[in-house]
Amino acid sequence: MALFPLTSNFQGDFVLQLLPVDTDNTMDEVAAAAAHHSVGRRVAARPGHVMRVRRQGTEEAFPRTLKVSESDLKPMECIEVIWE
Amino acid sequence: MANLGRLDWYDLARTTNWTPTYVQEDELFPPQMSGSMGIPMPAWESYDEPYKQTYPEYVRIQREKDAGAYSVKAALERSKMFENADPGWLSVLKAHFGAIARAEYSASTAEARMARFGKAPGMRNMATMGMLDEIRHGQIQLFFPHEHCAKDRQFDWAHKAYDTNEWAILASRHMFDDMMTTRGAVDVALMLTFAFETGFTNMQFLGLAADAAEAGDWTFSNLISSVQTDESRHAQIGGPLVAILIENGKKAEAQKMVDIGIWRAWKLFSVLTGPMMDYYTPLEHRKQSFKEFMLEWIVVQFERSLIDLGLDKPWFWDQFLEELDYQHHGMHLGVWFWRPTVWWNPAAGVSAEERAWLEEKYPGWNATWGTNWDVITDNLLAGKKELSYPETLPVVCNMCQLPINATPGPAWKVRDFPLEYKGRSYHFCSEGCQWCFKQEPERYAGHLSLIDRFLAGMVQPMNLAGGLKYMSLEPGEIGDDAHNYAWVEKIRTDRQKDAA
Repeated sequence: MALFPLTSNFQGDFVLQLLPVDTDNTMDEVAAAAAHHSVGRRVAARPGHVMRVRRQGTEEAFPRTLKVSESDLKPMECIEVIWE
Repeated sequence: MANLGRLDWYDLARTTNWTPTYVQEDELFPPQMSGSMGIPMPAWESYDEPYKQTYPEYVRIQREKDAGAYSVKAALERSKMFENADPGWLSVLKAHFGAIARAEYSASTAEARMARFGKAPGMRNMATMGMLDEIRHGQIQLFFPHEHCAKDRQFDWAHKAYDTNEWAILASRHMFDDMMTTRGAVDVALMLTFAFETGFTNMQFLGLAADAAEAGDWTFSNLISSVQTDESRHAQIGGPLVAILIENGKKAEAQKMVDIGIWRAWKLFSVLTGPMMDYYTPLEHRKQSFKEFMLEWIVVQFERSLIDLGLDKPWFWDQFLEELDYQHHGMHLGVWFWRPTVWWNPAAGVSAEERAWLEEKYPGWNATWGTNWDVITDNLLAGKKELSYPETLPVVCNMCQLPINATPGPAWKVRDFPLEYKGRSYHFCSEGCQWCFKQEPERYAGHLSLIDRFLAGMVQPMNLAGGLKYMSLEPGEIGDDAHNYAWVEKIRTDRQKDAA
C-alpha cells in the first residue's frame, strides 16, 4: 500500500482537484474519496445513484472492486467520477 | 536664433545607430538579447512610431501627471473612501495592487531591455520613456495603497505579494516572467507591449478608471487614468515592429509571439478582471458585463489591430470567444471557495438580484454555475460553513498556473489537457495553454506548479495550515467572504418572506 495521487474530475463539479488515495483502494473507495471533495460542497447528492470511476476520455468505467494498483492509472492521471 | 520645430530635428536626434569598430554587431546587440532574427540593421532603422515624444516633453508631462494624481490623493485622504466603500470594491483594490504594482517594476526591466538591446533606434527611444513609465507605475501603485495598511493588513500585499509563493502570484509571476524578463527585445515588444498592453491593459485600465469613478473612489480613478495615459504611449512600441518582421519574412515568428502573448494575457484577465467586473463590483455600479466589455473593447479592437498590421487572428480565436462565456465564472468560484488562500476578500456576488443579473448577461448561468452556488448557499443557510471550504487543492495548469476549470452542472465540460514530456506528466487547462508549452517546452518544463511542489513535499505540513504558511498568508491577511456572508442572511430573509 502506498499513497497515490490522482486528479479528480467529478461530474457536475467545476474544477479538477487533487485526490490522494491508496494503491489498495478499490474504485468504489476512490469514488467515495472524490465525492468527499465535491458532493455536498458544490455538487448536490443524488440518492439512488452509484458513483463510478473511469479514465478521462473513455466511456467504460473501471470495475467497482478493481484496486488502484491493479489498474494502469498513472500518478495524477485524470479520472472522471460519474453518476450511474 | 529661432528654435527648430520638433519635426525638423526629431528624426535626426533619434537616429542613434552607429557602425561599431571595436566590437562586432552581434557583440553590441547579442541576438538572444535583441531577438533580431537575422534581420539586417537597415531594416530596423526604418522603425517609426506615431507618438514622437521628445524627452523634455516627456519630463514636463510626467511631472504634471504626477502632480495631478498625488494632489487628488492628498485632497481626498480625509474623504473616508475606505470606510464608506463597498467591501467588494476594496477587494478590487487589494487584488489589483498585489498583482500589478511589483509587476510594473518588473516591466521596467523589460522596457530597459528594449531600450538597450532593441536594434531599432526609434524603439530604443520609446522604450527609454517606457522604462521610466514603469518605474513610476511601480512607485505610485505602492505608495497609494500604503495609506490603508494601518487599517487593513491585506493592503500590505501590494508590496508583499510578489515575494511570496501565493498561488495567484505564482500565476502572475509565471506569465510576466515569461513575457517580460526572460526574452529578447523584439519578443518583449510583441508579447508585452502589443499583445498584453495594446490588447488588454490599455483598454482595461480605461474601464477600471470608470468603475472607480462610479464607485466614488476618485483617488484610484485618477491614479489608473494617469497610468493608462503612459500605457497608451509605450504600448505602441510593438506595432511598428510587426511591419518590419513581416517585410523581412518573419510573419510566422511574429504571429507566434503575439498568439502566445494574447492567450497568456487572457488567462490572467479571466482570474483578475472577470471576477472584479461581474462579481466584486456592486450591482448598481456595473455598466457592462465582463463579456460585453471584452467583446466591445478588447475583441473588436484587437481583431482590427491584428488585421491592420498584417497578422491573422490567432488559431485559438474561436476557443477564446467561447471561453468568454465561462472561464471567469470558474475562476471566481475557485477564488471564493479557496478564499483563505488569497490576500483579498472575494465578494461572492450571488444574491438573488445578482444571480438574476448573471442569468440575463450569461443565459444558462443558473443551470450551470448556479447549481454549484446552490449547494454552497444551502450549506451556509444550514449553518454548515465548514462545507463551504475545501479540504484539498485544485489541480492547476502547468502553463497559466490557474485552477483547471470549466462549466459545471448538467452541461459539465471540465477536462484535463495532459501532456507527457521527457517522462514527466504535465496538466493544462486548455488546448491554448498546452500549445504554448509545446512551442518551447524546454523553456517551461522545469517549472513546478503549486501542485507539483505539494507532491514534492515542499509544502509542510501537507494541510491547509502548511499551505497557508508556504504562501506566506498570515492571520489577518487570509481572505474571507467580502461581505461577511450578509448575502446569505438576505437570502434567508427573502425565503422566509416567500414562505410566509
